Amino acid sequence: MEKDFVYMNPDIRDGEEDGLFSKPVASLQPNMSVKGWLCDAGSAALENYVALEDATVTERLKEEGFFIKGFTRMSELGFGLRGDTAAGAACGGKAEIAFMTDTLGESRVSASLKGLFGYKPSYGVVSRYGLIGLVPSMECYGMVSSSIENISKAVRTTSGFDSRDPSMPDETPPDFNITMDMRNPTVGFLSQCMALLDEEETEAFTAALDTAREAGIGVVELGFDDFSLMANVHNVIGSVEASSSGGKYDSVRYGHRAKSDNNWNDMYIKSRSESFGSIVKAYMLQGGYFQYKAYSDFESACRIRARIIQKTNRLFEKADIIVMPSRGRNPSIDLQDSISDIYETFTFSLYANLTGGPAVSVPGLAIAEDTDIGFQILGPIREDGRVLSLASVLTATINRKGRR
Amino acid sequence: MNFEAVIGLEIHVQLNSPTKMFCDCPNRPADPPNLNTCPTCLWLPGALPVFSRNVLEKAILLCLSLNCEIQATSAFDQKVYYYPDLPKGFQLSQFHKPLSKNGWLDIVTGEAETRRLRIRKIHMEEDVARLVHETEDHKQISLVDFNRAGAPLVEIVTEPDMHSSYNVMEFLKALRRQMRYSGSSECSMEQGTMRVDANISLRPEKSEEFNTKVEVKNMNSIRNVGDAIDYEIARQKDSKEKGGEIVLHTRLWDPDKKITSPMRGKFEGPCIPDPAVSTIVITEGYVNEIKARLPEMPDKKITRFIQQYGLTEQEASLISSELDLSLYFEDTVKKGASPRTVVHWLTSTMTSCIRERGLSWSDLPVSAENFANLLGMLERNEITSKATKKVLSVMFDTDKTPETIVKELDLKQVSDINELEALVEKLLSGNHDAVESLKKGNEKVMDFLVGQAMRESKGRANPRIIAEIIAGKIK
Repeated sequence: MEKDFVYMNPDIRDGEEDGLFSKPVASLQPNMSVKGWLCDAGSAALENYVALEDATVTERLKEEGFFIKGFTRMSELGFGLRGDTAAGAACGGKAEIAFMTDTLGESRVSASLKGLFGYKPSYGVVSRYGLIGLVPSMECYGMVSSSIENISKAVRTTSGFDSRDPSMPDETPPDFNITMDMRNPTVGFLSQCMALLDEEETEAFTAALDTAREAGIGVVELGFDDFSLMANVHNVIGSVEASSSGGKYDSVRYGHRAKSDNNWNDMYIKSRSESFGSIVKAYMLQGGYFQYKAYSDFESACRIRARIIQKTNRLFEKADIIVMPSRGRNPSIDLQDSISDIYETFTFSLYANLTGGPAVSVPGLAIAEDTDIGFQILGPIREDGRVLSLASVLTATINRKGRR
Repeated sequence: MNFEAVIGLEIHVQLNSPTKMFCDCPNRPADPPNLNTCPTCLWLPGALPVFSRNVLEKAILLCLSLNCEIQATSAFDQKVYYYPDLPKGFQLSQFHKPLSKNGWLDIVTGEAETRRLRIRKIHMEEDVARLVHETEDHKQISLVDFNRAGAPLVEIVTEPDMHSSYNVMEFLKALRRQMRYSGSSECSMEQGTMRVDANISLRPEKSEEFNTKVEVKNMNSIRNVGDAIDYEIARQKDSKEKGGEIVLHTRLWDPDKKITSPMRGKFEGPCIPDPAVSTIVITEGYVNEIKARLPEMPDKKITRFIQQYGLTEQEASLISSELDLSLYFEDTVKKGASPRTVVHWLTSTMTSCIRERGLSWSDLPVSAENFANLLGMLERNEITSKATKKVLSVMFDTDKTPETIVKELDLKQVSDINELEALVEKLLSGNHDAVESLKKGNEKVMDFLVGQAMRESKGRANPRIIAEIIAGKIK
């Protein structure tokens, strides 16, 4: 088995790999239901759970002739990036497109670590039916690839109305096509965001803005007071949703069941204590705290989230696109031992999860010393074509520059 | 000290929508176990709830029948608790934003006053799975039937406006009648499609305070609710008089022993807005569209029946107690029978025919036309009322018309004077003692003689004419 995969499609027999790969190859994570495959979502709480049917995304990939190569390793229930290998699978042609759960910005941050494109579509354009998740209002199918065209193709394949997902508006899907003729767009960067960058990061990001100017794109500076609140808002709402929605992982029909001779309640408590990893457990406990002891704080977080969305819409009246790095230079990817570590890693990326807008992380534009911090492009909700196109325009510009 | 009871109700009603609340599975909880299930109502990982429009329509119909205001926006919350009947760990219920508020129903109290009782709110929620406890190889096992999981419920929460078991029972009857009229639920406490929990507290008479309440559950008929409330009022009174303190808790009604006893405290979890199910936005136009589908409701119908058909208030209200009964009544009248005769027969013989056969007004096997024709024969004195009962009974069990049955059973009433006179002659000549007694003014003997004549004619003689002939002969 290839090292980035935890489960390989049983259709692949030794030595026969090449023949199968005349089709475009996709990798999924074990929380994206594939009928008959073990879908444990990287958690002992789903031990032995075999999906009864395909997720909508799986179904659409199969219909469009994609070959699903297997499941990559994932962090528990798609929260954070502990041990995730999706971006690895997208390297070196092993998979044309790697799907990965994006709850905080996982797809964009891990893509930037590997010099790849990472994309989070607008909330509600790709069906979440069959995605075994943790934070329903934030998470979605993220996509990682070495080519922006592959991403555009993957989202065109998997998007579109699905009556089984109540969060999808019954509207015409947005345009996901890439156009190189963007008619003088304006990008805005946020001063509050710049204030968080160190010297090297600032330099790298400024260089990326220069590339944008070279491509004929206007650059404006914008202000957003609430920027520093975003992580806390995401944290409070996310943990409350995780605590409640995660209730279904109760070890009764699948998942690790602890030995308990006493009663139901005892069995639930022991099983759940033994099943979840420390991060998810801490997150759920924190959510429980807000539900039981500080409900008004949760309500405040929901109100601030609504305000952030409103203010974001106003920002998009001043600029077509908002840009910022995908991550800081030294994210503690491998040392995500606490919830605050995780939130620090995703400082810049969780904005799009909070607002539901589309975002792409573009490689090769913002290099701080030797580290690619990713150039993140955020658009208004359902303007996915705009962010994909700008990613493409900027990539073409930097490629030309490289050749000069 | 004299105490007054303060009673509020929480009533769960199963909607009779074709599908469950968040999936397309049939809403038939009584089918063989686990027949009506899918990933969504089995609450499997990755499945998402999609709110059914047909459930919303039924719920709105129900709310409108209870004079409730439909809220422009309402939403579902996740009500957290862990129990094997709820494997997803939360129940979808409308805690923060209920579907409707501020309803009311009028009842006539034990003191014969009309009183308006307020409904605080009605919200929707999904039912949970059913646990079946069995023994297998001498071991106790618990099985889960998911047919009921995700079935649509509404919960009706009243204001604490009731003060006696009588008023509670009247309220429940009125509630049941309104909801059945709306066509949104069967509302049977016996079959569990309506479940009533009562919150009861006591306060000194003429005070306005609200004291610690006790919740009573597990009543399976309206009568039971009344009994449980009476028991609980007496128990609390007794406790207070002995200086005891009432603590907030839940008690279970035991219908056999007719007592309540405390049950284990239930874990009450928090409610957070569900992030997946969309907010329900209801326009006034939509509400009006649904309102137009409500039939004429009992209050209006009773008034109209009194005016249009000359019924007494009691008759009109009896005949309007069920929609199908009231429709059948009017159909029969339209086919030519006289209204009060119809009421009399519907509320007596017809009702017992239905009960004996375990039927209901909705599956009556006798057409209104046949019933009207039968009553016509009675009114024209072609058959006796005894014969009418007999024919009706046959009509319940066959497809024959009343005319055919009367002919086949030879039940046509004998009103021919000559024939009846001959019958009376024969009767009087064989009963000298009775005749003498009657002449002395013993009226009871008249009944005896008429009875003899009826027996002689096998019930076909017209008793009124017989009595007249006898009276004539005696003079």
